[in-house]
Amino acid sequence: MKQLMEMVFQAEFFASVIRITAPILFAALGAVIAEKAGLTNMGLEGMMMIAALFGTLTSYWTQSWLVGVFCALLVGMLLSLMVGFFALKLKTDIILAGIAVNMLGGGGTIFLLYMFTGMRGNTGSLVSQNILIPTLEIPLIKDIPVLGEILSGHSLLTYLAFLFVFLLWVLLYKTPLGLNIRAVGENNHAAESVGIKVRRIQYIALAFSGALAGLGGAFMSMYYSQGWNSGMVAGRGFIALAAQAMGRGEPMGTLLSSLLFGLAQALRTKASALPDISTYLVSVIPYVATVLGLVFYAAATMRRVKKARRPKEEAEEK
Amino acid sequence: MKKLLALMLALILAVAAFGCGEKTPADEQGSEDGVYNVVSLVNGNLGDKSFFDSCESGLKALQDAGRITYKTIEMGGTDEDQPKWLETLYEVAESGEYDLIICGTYQMPDYLKEVATEYPDQKFLIYDDTTYVGENSNVVNFSYKQNDMGYLVGVFAASMTSATEVANINPEKVVGFIGGVDSPVINDFLYGFLQGIKDTDPEVKVDTRYVNSYVDAPLAKELGISMINDNACDIIWGVAGLSGNGGAEAAAETGKSWFIGVDSDQELTLPEEQAAITLTSGLKNIGQSLIWFFDKWDAGEADALFGTQVNLGLNEGGVGIVTDKNFAKIAPQAVQDAVLAAQEKVASGEITVPTAIGDETNGAVALRDSMQP
Repeated sequence: MKQLMEMVFQAEFFASVIRITAPILFAALGAVIAEKAGLTNMGLEGMMMIAALFGTLTSYWTQSWLVGVFCALLVGMLLSLMVGFFALKLKTDIILAGIAVNMLGGGGTIFLLYMFTGMRGNTGSLVSQNILIPTLEIPLIKDIPVLGEILSGHSLLTYLAFLFVFLLWVLLYKTPLGLNIRAVGENNHAAESVGIKVRRIQYIALAFSGALAGLGGAFMSMYYSQGWNSGMVAGRGFIALAAQAMGRGEPMGTLLSSLLFGLAQALRTKASALPDISTYLVSVIPYVATVLGLVFYAAATMRRVKKARRPKEEAEEK
Repeated sequence: MKKLLALMLALILAVAAFGCGEKTPADEQGSEDGVYNVVSLVNGNLGDKSFFDSCESGLKALQDAGRITYKTIEMGGTDEDQPKWLETLYEVAESGEYDLIICGTYQMPDYLKEVATEYPDQKFLIYDDTTYVGENSNVVNFSYKQNDMGYLVGVFAASMTSATEVANINPEKVVGFIGGVDSPVINDFLYGFLQGIKDTDPEVKVDTRYVNSYVDAPLAKELGISMINDNACDIIWGVAGLSGNGGAEAAAETGKSWFIGVDSDQELTLPEEQAAITLTSGLKNIGQSLIWFFDKWDAGEADALFGTQVNLGLNEGGVGIVTDKNFAKIAPQAVQDAVLAAQEKVASGEITVPTAIGDETNGAVALRDSMQP
């Protein structure tokens, strides 16, 4: 235990929490905006996979990481719009359309990679340093001891992920578009009756959602891992859906729940160094943390509800 | 409409009859012209740069030498693909076209057993699995002495971590092991690795961690970074399929450690920056072992092998260690000599490396925990 404490209370540990959280956060924010418009974007995992592949490929073809990131964003967006087309226009179940994208992300990516490059399984040999997303040393902050080590030196996209929490909040609560999205999500018939173009708003929300998942994919293959390999997203898209639910579908709440996942995963990384503890036990830490988080959250809400109800009941008794 | 139906039925019957006539009986083994017709079922995809690719390259070499004709069927490796595996096995067995059906890995034995029982005249070969050895007289099981390979890598890592004159080798005697899953096969690599280290330098500690996934390279990278920063590992051996590459990334990115590959020569397949810090690789030569098998078959010794388990070690070319490129360039002469000496001793049987497979006492786990820093 002492050994674990020593490892945890280090700047490097908290930096790893941020690193692990970022891709989950991207996808979770994508889930938030779709859910706000009343749509469940089940296909985040697959979108991340496919976007990750195209990010790597286009950055290799153009030798520019920026083009790669944009392409990943675009691919995510297109896939999400495709899900929208199937679900909204052709009236498929949106969950099923999402699952289809996930399956495409599993097998289709291998096929696409083979078609484009003749490689199979991973893109290892395509990658060179200049097509990876660069890291950023923040001036001033990087000189602060400890804090500098935690906050500085991450990739551009990492900072972008956290910035998007704020931007998404502004979009949802401070702009007319955000109001429309929320109105559509609450009750699309009511929204339609006041002249909101429901279909269009839903497509826009899905486009944002897919774009965010695409950025998450770019993060995975162009920074987190150097290059793409099959199955690399490894369930992060699904964890993002859980993070969105746990965060009550709010940007801030989702940030916190994503951080919780990041923290649990980082803890797992460290705990696996301890002897005499089964690795199977260690690997469930992130999931146990989720369950505990939900329990605490539910307990807190119940207490609040009770408290709110009590004065009312007392008033009624009188 | 009726006419069309009748026409189609007739057509189907004709095709079926024709097909029956063309079929070669399955028991006609080792076709007269000495060229075997082989099908290789891959329960994943080629391009793993290790296992399946090694099998493919062996078959290709055999085909180029005019000894076999072969066909590879990629069945996919995800959960959704699993139902296809049994189906494909039935299909190729039913067709009776093949002298030998090859498949591999721990995921296939249940399917194989079912089909092998159904088609007792069809010959099968399964590599890297020993689940139902001897239960079907038409199946040969190939296993690999990964513990021998691990031993050589262990000898190398232990001598290397003390060679502080080499860049990035720190005075701390700690090396790392990233495993895929805490399972007998992975622990077999580990057991040999630990034993090799212990025999070379008992002071060396080994930080062992498992990814619990064969595809999550980013997670393996986090494990690697933690090993390097928390426990000063200066050499990491990644034995975790695609995840293992995360270890190479951690070593390359922190710039404080070296990497050792597994199954195939990863120095040739990793990106340049990571290849530069890959010192050597432990080899599992599926392809080589297939060539060995066809040698036996040509010599008429294969019949005795079916229904048994063949355990391929250094002598059969089943396992080995890369000793050129970075190994020759970077490792000091004393380290190289130690590895070559150990290789000779293991091959001659002077050193017997313990195995984790079928080991009831769980010696690998005990040793692992005792050597954790």
